[in-house]
Amino acid sequence: MLALVRAAIVLLYPRTPELPGAEDCDLDAFLTKYRDETTPLVWAGVVLGAIVFHLTPVLTVKVPLPAFFLPPKLADRHAHEISSTDSYMLRQAIFLVKLVAGLAWGSHPDVRKHFALAPLATDPDDWRTE
Amino acid sequence: MSRGQHVSFRSKDDLDLDAEVDFIVVGSGAGGATAAVTLARGGARVALVEAGAWRDPEHYPHSVYGGMRDLMDDWGAQVTMGRALWPIVQARTMGGTTVINSAICVRTPDDIFDKWSEEHGISGLKRPMRAAQDRIERELSVEEVPLASLGRSNLHAIRGAEKLGFRESHVMRRYVKGCVGSGQCLQGCRERKKQSTNVTYVPETLELGGLIVSSARVDRVTFEGRRATGVTGRFVHPRTRVEGTKFRIRAKKAVIVAASATWSPILLMRSGVRMQSLGKYFRAHPGTGVFGVYDEPVDMNVGATQGWASTGFRHEPGLKLETLAIPFELVASRFSGGGTELMKRIQDFRHVAMWCHAVRAESTGTVSDSFFGKPQVSYTLDRADMERFRKGMLLVAQQHVAAGAKAVLPGISGMPFKLMANEIGKLEDAPLDPRAYIAILSHLFGGCVMGKDPKTSVVDGLGRVHGYEGLVVADASVIPTNLGVNPQHTIMSLAATFSAALL
Repeated sequence: MLALVRAAIVLLYPRTPELPGAEDCDLDAFLTKYRDETTPLVWAGVVLGAIVFHLTPVLTVKVPLPAFFLPPKLADRHAHEISSTDSYMLRQAIFLVKLVAGLAWGSHPDVRKHFALAPLATDPDDWRTE
Repeated sequence: MSRGQHVSFRSKDDLDLDAEVDFIVVGSGAGGATAAVTLARGGARVALVEAGAWRDPEHYPHSVYGGMRDLMDDWGAQVTMGRALWPIVQARTMGGTTVINSAICVRTPDDIFDKWSEEHGISGLKRPMRAAQDRIERELSVEEVPLASLGRSNLHAIRGAEKLGFRESHVMRRYVKGCVGSGQCLQGCRERKKQSTNVTYVPETLELGGLIVSSARVDRVTFEGRRATGVTGRFVHPRTRVEGTKFRIRAKKAVIVAASATWSPILLMRSGVRMQSLGKYFRAHPGTGVFGVYDEPVDMNVGATQGWASTGFRHEPGLKLETLAIPFELVASRFSGGGTELMKRIQDFRHVAMWCHAVRAESTGTVSDSFFGKPQVSYTLDRADMERFRKGMLLVAQQHVAAGAKAVLPGISGMPFKLMANEIGKLEDAPLDPRAYIAILSHLFGGCVMGKDPKTSVVDGLGRVHGYEGLVVADASVIPTNLGVNPQHTIMSLAATFSAALL
């Protein structure tokens, strides 16, 4: 399941000449952490969103192949069109994957540097115990 | 040394917590913490029970990921069930949503008291609530956002509003002492400037001898006949969500439920309270943002997250306008599209400012218990509210253009990603289908509404649940009308008034 989610995210936030892509942002470690820490229901939603992403090229670029088998240009077109589809439920499913991807990509120091944003320190993950 | 005691998560290997106090307050947000401190100041022994962990500013996360994990209820995954799935923003942490909001302080409008009196038979609240609001403003150091902390986004908004002659355009007053404009309101103010209740009223309650119980989920209010006698529940580890030992706290005088507009009705339902209006008349301020694109960098995350507002549209068409700089991680997903086109769009990030509108919606919904053990909010905006919603989009777009934006990004499905300044009139024909918008519900009301008639309300004008003794609700769930302004001040002053009446 991780591989499916990862593949969708890499296509949604690809590396470009100007910007690092999600694959440049410690994505594997992020997704493992996210899967382990979030609620089962939220993770199930993300996986479902990734499945929707991979199974819908037939609707967007009219090719009956999963997105991870598409040639790069077609996969890129699919990533854009499925994210902007008129179908609300499909769009929402992809939005959830984009949201998670944004958390990984947008917090990475290389990306933040490009936008003149300070790097984020490590979250303390602590609380009062007494 | 404080005179009280804080009990945090206890594993199943520990002894159950068993205690007796005068009053139990469930929930530590704007309502709960205000009720607790009011009772503690009055000399009562108070237990304040919070489902989330007690985090101080040094414990706040830096990232949005950490914010969703550590501070939000259920990772912020709660959505309305209706025509559109719109997220409901609520915290689960000591201090409740006061930790993750922008601490905006607006006095309850006079017309609201009139409406409560005329439509719900509730009178006599104006004087004590005004007195409470005076006091709370002093205690929580309410002040205008300092000019130096506004940042370019807020300053652009002020300029745009001035050019358009928006009524009641103002720099926000907030429960923030010496804002430094770190732009971190939504992740918790690590600078310790925001006076959220976890750094103000909760520590004071502890100091006054209170029992503070954190990471503790209340499952039931217990009763003897129709008299509330206490609460039972379980500790839940803030990180692993593993259940710990049980707790039982007895209340000699009353149980005050302040668990939020979604959780308070659910807690009463699970406790066996059966009333016709319980969970009904849920209302909200649904809203969304419009990005303006400027020639020069705006860097909207530099400066106060929210610093400008106009309440001039509160009556007609029924809107609230304000600035809102969402964190970069969320902007990345908020822009429509994917692939290289999305990456191209994000390139503009430094040049965009996000301002938003929230509808003073008349539509009502319901809160019920769901299969997943969470509140289910059924809520859809009707056509009149969607027309207000669309009008809000246009007003914000006009304000951006007046402030000098060359284009706006409305984020509406079925419309162009970018509208140039001379094209914003197209928003007049924007769809009225809520599914076309990425919106959120930020202020929630109702579910345990106040009223004189037990058939159409849950509590009376002092928050007392009809037909029960020693059971009070003191949070946004009692508010029977849509305020049209940020509700924290109203919630706090209601809780102060209700709890003072118990002493």
